[in-house]
Amino acid sequence: MSSLAMEWTKLRPLHKTSRTVATAIGLAVTVSAVVAAAMAAHGAHMSSTERSHFDSIGTSLQGVNAAVLAVAVFGVLCVTREYATGMITTTFLAQPSRLRVLAAKLGTHSAVACVAGAVASVAAYAVGQALLGTAGLSVGWGAHQLVGALAGGAIYLVLICVWGVGIGALTRSSSTGITWLASLLVVAPVIVQILPPGVVHAVGRWLPSQIGMRAIAGRPDPHSFGPWTGLAVLGGYVLLTVAAGAWRMVRTDP
Amino acid sequence: MIEVRGLTKRFRGRVAVEDLTLSVQPGTVTGFLGPNGSGKTTTARMILGLTQPDSGTATIGGRCYRDLPHPLREIGALINPGAVNPSRSALEHLRWLAAANRLPAARAETVLTKVGLEAVADRRVGAFSLGMRQRLGIAAALIGDPGVLLLDEPINGLDPEGIRWIRIFMQSLAAEGRTVLVSSHLMSEMALTASELIVIGRGRLVAAESVASFTARVDSSVRVRTPQLDALAAALTSGGATVWREDDRLDVVGMPIEQIGAVAAQVGAVLYELSPQQASLEEAFMHLTSAECEYVVEPTPVADTVAAELAELAA
Repeated sequence: MSSLAMEWTKLRPLHKTSRTVATAIGLAVTVSAVVAAAMAAHGAHMSSTERSHFDSIGTSLQGVNAAVLAVAVFGVLCVTREYATGMITTTFLAQPSRLRVLAAKLGTHSAVACVAGAVASVAAYAVGQALLGTAGLSVGWGAHQLVGALAGGAIYLVLICVWGVGIGALTRSSSTGITWLASLLVVAPVIVQILPPGVVHAVGRWLPSQIGMRAIAGRPDPHSFGPWTGLAVLGGYVLLTVAAGAWRMVRTDP
Repeated sequence: MIEVRGLTKRFRGRVAVEDLTLSVQPGTVTGFLGPNGSGKTTTARMILGLTQPDSGTATIGGRCYRDLPHPLREIGALINPGAVNPSRSALEHLRWLAAANRLPAARAETVLTKVGLEAVADRRVGAFSLGMRQRLGIAAALIGDPGVLLLDEPINGLDPEGIRWIRIFMQSLAAEGRTVLVSSHLMSEMALTASELIVIGRGRLVAAESVASFTARVDSSVRVRTPQLDALAAALTSGGATVWREDDRLDVVGMPIEQIGAVAAQVGAVLYELSPQQASLEEAFMHLTSAECEYVVEPTPVADTVAAELAELAA
């Protein structure tokens, strides 16, 4: 518990924490607004079948995909900044159990990511629905699967933040860690897109970005994992990475 | 009290510390002395659980650092004054340390006042000078009011006023009954600060004793001035002493000062001066660690080289 208090006291006064939360929410709302506005403008030309298949929830929550990078970097930096400044030695002096240090970082940072993720999801949805409503494409707050999609968005952001902490512990370098995460979240889907169609579906469903898309979607997609299966797969990646990061933190002296 | 037994650490096959055994007693300032690269910092890091030893143990009051439930209450350490998040204020830095070991948050203000930084408590650590960071590092070491202090090169980068402050501060901590181990490669500073010494070279123990007995290890010479230089030099040499003749005086080694006086009386030499020359800690250190130095620079006979070049030019 004292390690949690330690990490929390470290986190609290930093403007970076509030800036990360603000950035995540701001990105989510902005992107959702742009996507929803574009869809609303397009809505006039939609056929009735297109309208019936339109994913109003998923469209409104598109901003979560933008917030994800802010949360990922937040996770990576919480470990790598301490190695870069050498402060990790002071941290280990105060708490010699390195596993407790890592657990406390995971606890505090995922709590922040959870709050940021929940607020970002709800705010993005509110803005997205308001704009889609102008074209009669909104489904409102009583929609079926809405709670699942909002929770999915928040859980997705928490998992990515935890992944960031794990990658930070594994790489100990801000630039390397952020490059890894950006490659997994942004570059990998671009590369997969140029593969033959059969391969796209086979490989695509394993991508973290695809899993994130399904977590916030209001309609199922036959080529992807279901939202909860997908999040479980992502949880598996995260668990392996955190285990590897913990192993390196304990075994290799700073 | 710090106990180290058979501590050994190699980095990629290169020995950093080898079979080091030592103990540091409370109530005195113990200097931890050695040339650069002799293993002082590695030893300190192993005592603090930051580096895993290959073999051997290091304990603080009988327990390993990693087994201490609230280590900052047992031992305070200054190991790297730069190890602070630059965007945090001094007070914030000390507050998370206090929180980590369940200490009251007010301890942060108390130790800041103790090191004289209360006026800059809310300033970003990134804007601190090296001297201020050293003081902040000492404040951090004191936060848990520990009985043992381990300070690695605390006077690095300090101005003379800061050095004086730290010296008096360490001595007052020892006078309170605390165990104070302070590492340095500056012998002159240790001569003023420490009363006990632990000297290492190439990761091995060279000496562990009081400053006085360490200095006495180097042969002390006796200076003699007399108008009868030749007669006295001959008599002393035949008596078994080693004598260097310098202008109007003799430097004598290997004969007690009383016996030198007696020999002078026998040969009827008039003495202008008969004085013991105490070797400095620095000389003792150089003498004992010359074989243990990691990096040795051969002295270049500059004058000879210049003379040779001038001769060449003249020819």
